[in-house]
Amino acid sequence: MAVFQLAEWTAMAPALILAGTALALFVFDSISPHSTNRSLLAGTAAGGALASLAVAVWFIVAGVGTPTVDGGLGEITVLSDQFVVDQMALYFMIIVAIVTALIVVASYDYLVGHAYQAEYYSLVVLAATGMSMMAAANSLVTIFIALELASLPSYALVAILKDNRGSVEAGLKYFLIGALSSAIFLYGISLVYGATGHLQLDNIAEVIAAGDADPYGGLLGLGILMLIGGFAFKTASVPFHFWAPDAYEGAPAPISGFLSSASKAAGFVILFRVFTEAFPLGDQMNALIGFDWTVAFIILAIVTMTVGNFAAATQNNVKRMLAYSSIGHAGYALIGVAGLSADGGELVMGAAMMHLLVYGFMNTGAFLFVALAEHWGVGRTFEDYNGLSRQAPIACAAMAVFMFSLAGIPPFGGFFSKFFLFMGALEASAANTAMLAVAAALVVNSALSLYYYSRLVKALWIEEPATTRDRLARPTGLYAAIVVAAVMTVLILPGFGPVVDAALDAAVAALG
Amino acid sequence: MEGAFSYAPAIAAFPLAAFVVALTFGKWMPRKGAIAGIAATAGSLLFSLWMLAAVASGEVYHETLYEWTAGEAAGEVGDGIEFTFGILIDPLSALMLVIVSLVAFLVHIFSLGYMNAEGETGLPRYYAGLGLFTFSMLAFVYADNLLMAFMFFELVGLCSYLLIGFWFRTRSAPSAAKKAFLVTRFGDYFFLIGVVAIAATFGTVAFAGDDSFVAAAETAIADGDTLFGFDAQTWVTITGLLVLGGVLGKSAQFPFHTWLPDAMEGPTTVSALIHAATMVAAGVYLVARMFGYYALSPTALAIIAFVGGFTALFAATMGVVKDDIKQVLAYSTISQYGYMMLGLGVGGYVAGVFHLMNHAFFKALLFLGAGAVIILMHHEQDMWKMGGLKEKAPVTYYTFLAGALALAGIIPFSGFWSKDEILYDALIVGLNEPVIMAAYAMGLVAVFFTGFYTFRMVFLTFHGEPRSEAAEDPHPVGWAVKVPLLTLGVLALVAGVANLAPVAKILGVDIVFLEHWLDGEYGAVEGLTYSAYGELLAYETGVIGSEQLTILVAAGLSLLLAFSGAGLAWKLYNVPEPVAHKERLGSARRTIENNYYQDEYQVWLARGFTLPLSRAADRFDQTVIDGSVNGISTASLFGSSWVKRLQTGIVTNYAALIVAGFIALLVFLGVYGGWF
Repeated sequence: MAVFQLAEWTAMAPALILAGTALALFVFDSISPHSTNRSLLAGTAAGGALASLAVAVWFIVAGVGTPTVDGGLGEITVLSDQFVVDQMALYFMIIVAIVTALIVVASYDYLVGHAYQAEYYSLVVLAATGMSMMAAANSLVTIFIALELASLPSYALVAILKDNRGSVEAGLKYFLIGALSSAIFLYGISLVYGATGHLQLDNIAEVIAAGDADPYGGLLGLGILMLIGGFAFKTASVPFHFWAPDAYEGAPAPISGFLSSASKAAGFVILFRVFTEAFPLGDQMNALIGFDWTVAFIILAIVTMTVGNFAAATQNNVKRMLAYSSIGHAGYALIGVAGLSADGGELVMGAAMMHLLVYGFMNTGAFLFVALAEHWGVGRTFEDYNGLSRQAPIACAAMAVFMFSLAGIPPFGGFFSKFFLFMGALEASAANTAMLAVAAALVVNSALSLYYYSRLVKALWIEEPATTRDRLARPTGLYAAIVVAAVMTVLILPGFGPVVDAALDAAVAALG
Repeated sequence: MEGAFSYAPAIAAFPLAAFVVALTFGKWMPRKGAIAGIAATAGSLLFSLWMLAAVASGEVYHETLYEWTAGEAAGEVGDGIEFTFGILIDPLSALMLVIVSLVAFLVHIFSLGYMNAEGETGLPRYYAGLGLFTFSMLAFVYADNLLMAFMFFELVGLCSYLLIGFWFRTRSAPSAAKKAFLVTRFGDYFFLIGVVAIAATFGTVAFAGDDSFVAAAETAIADGDTLFGFDAQTWVTITGLLVLGGVLGKSAQFPFHTWLPDAMEGPTTVSALIHAATMVAAGVYLVARMFGYYALSPTALAIIAFVGGFTALFAATMGVVKDDIKQVLAYSTISQYGYMMLGLGVGGYVAGVFHLMNHAFFKALLFLGAGAVIILMHHEQDMWKMGGLKEKAPVTYYTFLAGALALAGIIPFSGFWSKDEILYDALIVGLNEPVIMAAYAMGLVAVFFTGFYTFRMVFLTFHGEPRSEAAEDPHPVGWAVKVPLLTLGVLALVAGVANLAPVAKILGVDIVFLEHWLDGEYGAVEGLTYSAYGELLAYETGVIGSEQLTILVAAGLSLLLAFSGAGLAWKLYNVPEPVAHKERLGSARRTIENNYYQDEYQVWLARGFTLPLSRAADRFDQTVIDGSVNGISTASLFGSSWVKRLQTGIVTNYAALIVAGFIALLVFLGVYGGWF
């Protein structure tokens, strides 16, 4: 595994492969704009995603990011520290690549008869490139560029069903809220730069540690808060979540899955990185901005999970229910930052990272099931889904797995990640009693979430069909993606050991 | 015998395999699963005999096979605890393995004649039940810890429930099954609490070895520890009595005996295997298994002895007035287990186990004999409709007679030797302990009733003139019925040779094989021997005159009573046209015929006490618990519709809300952090 012999920039290979794939698809599109060779297009995109996945896994196994004292290759920095490839970066690159591969495979069937096939795939892969770069971005500039690289194709993707009013409207809303959030985020960057004079994360931390930012405490605090706003937009957290239900509902279902899984994960990785690298907790940081910044995340976590789950409880539209549930899960993942403390928090942050990986399978799978239902044309509400298990038992069994896993019921993967989050929150409450409230909110919201998740399972498996349906098709790509996601949701439990290790290692390295 | 023990798990695994085979493929098999069951129990029997031989050659086996969980939590005495599955094969369990697998094997063969030949339906279910039962019972017997024993104790209870209710289309069988399940479960609640208490106290549930709860309890008593606010001895008594709850339920001892007569609703083969020879023995076996623990507590032992003696007499009196042949046997089973409890309670470990063995043989014989009679009588169980079967079914008659003589305790049949030993052990302790003396007296009086009801049954069934058409023209029985009867008949006659204690003591010859066996002359786990238990016991024994005289007095008394009981039955019922003599009982008749109103008061307890209590609990659940849960969900759904309304669909509203939310956060944190 002679990684070290390669040039340093090759450490960005997972992202670069995606970029290359996207460009190849663009070239193909310009040569043959009306091609409907779905196999070639989807195959290229899936191949790129899988290659990116393979390289990222290879790197993590070869020891990239593992501290050199532990026999690893250490962190690799690219472009004078503008990017850093460490365990956390690779971990999130893996999540992004997995979700991208699932989405691309499923889109093969979903896009039957659509125009702009090549554009669609290249936009997906381009967005994935941005997300992959977000995982490695190490300076506020690269973070912003990567974030926009992920966002701009996403706006287009949400609106790609040009004949569909809902899709276009959703795209516009998403874009407008995105623009507002980007503005706030950018303003936050400029304030942080103004207070510290640096954009690179570790330099910011050095300036703060040296006390050079002391006169600008309020300014820095405001900047940090605005950065939080930008991350909240990307992760669909309250109060920047308003775009999510509309965008997810209007977008093609695979894109909803893509945004709610991969994009959210990418938002969390920069959140984790910025707050652990640039603003490490400590007495000095607290004195500077007047309080411990985890307070902000404790509030956001509780409000986000509560708003998401409560709004999801009475939805009639399945996709909208999933959209709100995705907001709720953002709240769960926020616990990973809320539970940090000056000298600890690896467990809770590792748990949040595990949750995002499991979520990448179960949530993507759930949206792909919705994509399958849209493909069948059975309708959008719970009632329309009644009795689908009679005709499509495999897909419905997979959906039941996703729902129970999302609700956090053993023996599925979602149970374990949520369990670790809960344990982590309880452990963190030793340092910060407010975490007890977060843990309590987690339990209450999980209980409430079981209500609406099981409602869907009940509709699928117990209710009688409201109308008689024709035989339902079995699109290969969609089925394959759903089944893989379901199998991974189940198998991640026996495989949780390595996942726990990887996430905890990454968290320890990030906090170290 | 090197390596014999590594095959020990197979003993239980064979019947488990038979269970699976019968359940899945039974429908398509020629004998509906009987062959699989017979092969499996034959395998178990062979391996059990091998284990017996291995123990005889001086080896024992105590091995943990699987640890399913371990905890760090500190007990009151020990620290850390492990819950495991393991096997303990010592003289006691090796003997019991042979008894259980032998009876199971014979019952399987008998079933060919009783179930298959009679054209029963649902046979795969029947053989699956027998297989599961045999598996659970064998695993219970060689369990090396209390928790594993408890699990299999429950599993045999489940099998009992399933098999009693085998004819589930009748009204009575499901009801009897439920009753058996509920009554034994009631006892098992105490057992479970006892297991938890022992585990929490001593940090171990192992039966044997230095880290057993028995050893830990002994140390705690010696050190004068205080456990959960009690001194160690009191606490051992309390936990021992909690475990005893399960024992009394399973072995049908007063006041939990009411389920056993009803359990006769099951097939007679099931009664023979489960409700006479093996499962009911599980309770007594458990006392013997953890005898070291009970030996530490004289109070618990005295209670065991007294309950045993009382049950022996109480059940025997009820057996006197029954008309159904299986009912008589059911009450005699309760009564005989009372003797075993009496034996163990007075420290007669060998006597109790000896009677357990003998009883397994002769009671299985009597039940199978009753099964044969039921075949002969075209499924008639009322003894008043029988009579005169003696000449028509000689094999059944003579084997049944052997069982009856053993049951009545007539010399030289096996039952005499073991019952006499129990009564002798009770007498010598009773000379110093009035409570034990009372228990002994009840046991002694019960001998008279036993002789009476046993021979009343024999005479009514086999002697005199046939009193119905079925009795005049009995249905023939085949080899599958006769072979088990003959095997058990021989055992009922000769099994007593295992421990001829009175003869040994009077003549001074060494022929107490079972005592040597249980005392670890061959192989034994340290601490689990008769003499080790003897050292723990606090009883003092006395004699009348000399030891020999005491033996003669005790044996003479019980023989005299047995003969008078049998003789009275002979006088009253061994006539061509016997009539009922119940009116001679006078006012006692109604009480006894109604089984001392035991069922009535238990039903009254259930209706008058438990039912209102559970109604109140239900009301609390419906109003307070459900009310608050419903309240919360209503509030949640209301909140949900309110949150949903925030999402207007108008993007300018979103922008306004985002900015407003952001400013709210900013103001809060700014004030909190002192930015302004």
